[in-house]
Amino acid sequence: MQMLVKAKGLRKSYRNRTVVDGIDLAFRRGETVAIIGPNGAGKSTTLDMILGLKKADGGTVRFWRDDPLGRIGVQLQQTPFFPGLSALENLKLFASFYRVKLTDARARELLELCGLLEAAGTEASRLSGGQQKRLAIAAGLVHDPELVFLDEPTAALDPKARREVHALIARLANAGTTVVLTSHDMEEVHRLAARVVMIIRGRIAADGAPDELCAKHGVAGLEELYIQLTEAKEGVRG
Amino acid sequence: MNATILRSMMMTSLRDRISLFYATLFPLGLFAGLGLSIDTPGYAPRLMVGVMALGTLFWSMAGQSFQVLQQRNKGVYKLLRVAPLKPLPFIWWMILARTILGVAMSGLLVLAGVLLFDIRVAVSGLANGLPLLVAGSLCFTALGFFVANLAKNEARVNMISNLLYVPMVLGSEAFYSLDRVPSWLAAAGRAFPFHYLVDGLQRTMISGGPLPVTALLMLALFTAAGLALAAATFRWDEHQPVLGAKG
Repeated sequence: MQMLVKAKGLRKSYRNRTVVDGIDLAFRRGETVAIIGPNGAGKSTTLDMILGLKKADGGTVRFWRDDPLGRIGVQLQQTPFFPGLSALENLKLFASFYRVKLTDARARELLELCGLLEAAGTEASRLSGGQQKRLAIAAGLVHDPELVFLDEPTAALDPKARREVHALIARLANAGTTVVLTSHDMEEVHRLAARVVMIIRGRIAADGAPDELCAKHGVAGLEELYIQLTEAKEGVRG
Repeated sequence: MNATILRSMMMTSLRDRISLFYATLFPLGLFAGLGLSIDTPGYAPRLMVGVMALGTLFWSMAGQSFQVLQQRNKGVYKLLRVAPLKPLPFIWWMILARTILGVAMSGLLVLAGVLLFDIRVAVSGLANGLPLLVAGSLCFTALGFFVANLAKNEARVNMISNLLYVPMVLGSEAFYSLDRVPSWLAAAGRAFPFHYLVDGLQRTMISGGPLPVTALLMLALFTAAGLALAAATFRWDEHQPVLGAKG
């Protein structure tokens, strides 16, 4: 599989505290990768450095093409909508950030993919939390990207909204889009990701297919693996 | 693409009811209310220009700072960093949209002046006042950006804005002559762009004089300073320190 991103030796410190400590990470075309780990483990900082949102103290990031930004979609934890604009209008505006002219038909197609067609004319800020999250994902897809980063796409969503986002991610993966997501929900990770990367204290603690990792560590599921590795690396706090 | 950004920025600004109130209904109400209650010959044109300058100040500076704060806190600038469109063109279209709307709102005040108080503004007065209004809008919009960069939340925006509004408005001749105020207040007023906007608009739209180059240059100078300050303090996201590393 073609390598889309190759990060080598990424390092980042804040005020003498090392957050990312020499991470090597690669994403290949067509795979769905989940990055997991405790809060403050360095997941978001790693992704931010890969995306250029944070400057790395050390290491390199290489992409499959010279101008990757136009081919990468990003969903942030925040929901960056413009107040006063409808879901459809927001999508058209986001498309202009990628220098894409989004036709009404294509925008509606995208909204339908994200289960938001009925909300096309609703002001984005009036949408429910789940709808806003899906709109944020739709905003990351306006330019038909080859690689999508989803930062906690189901955080704070109710089970129904969560299921809808899962279906959307599965559709993206089935369509051949490379998906990199972060999550704290191990069931979700097991369901969606073909590969799991676990980061603890700024280092990669595990990397592989969920079932292979569970078998290797002799655990029944990802949650158990998560707890085992977290306790081993961080020590149990009492 | 740029047309989409401009149109969207105009729509999002026009649908912001609070800043729209301060930019349209409040100035129109102030103009009509004061104009009808103060029956001093020749005061209505001065009032019109004063309210126009005040509306421009509120719409451009307060409106822009709240908009920037909101966009930053919602992660819009962060998202722009991972898109091919760079933030500067986006910011430029946002400023242009606000300037166009600000000038249109000033046009409403002129219309109200003509209809309510029979104010006669010569075409040359309008033509010479227009560059000043554009320069004033750009200047206050740039300052609005700077204010938003210094603030972490709406309360801070209000606090910093008020620190600028008070000396600007009190130290200007927007609503009264500075002949009888303490000299230090008049001098303080001249240290801010609002004075030059009011002075320039009075010279062109009331007195029918030519375009006052000094006022225009001063506004341009303040715009450049405002832009430089805005650029130096620009923050991509809300978690970035107010005055610190660019991350």
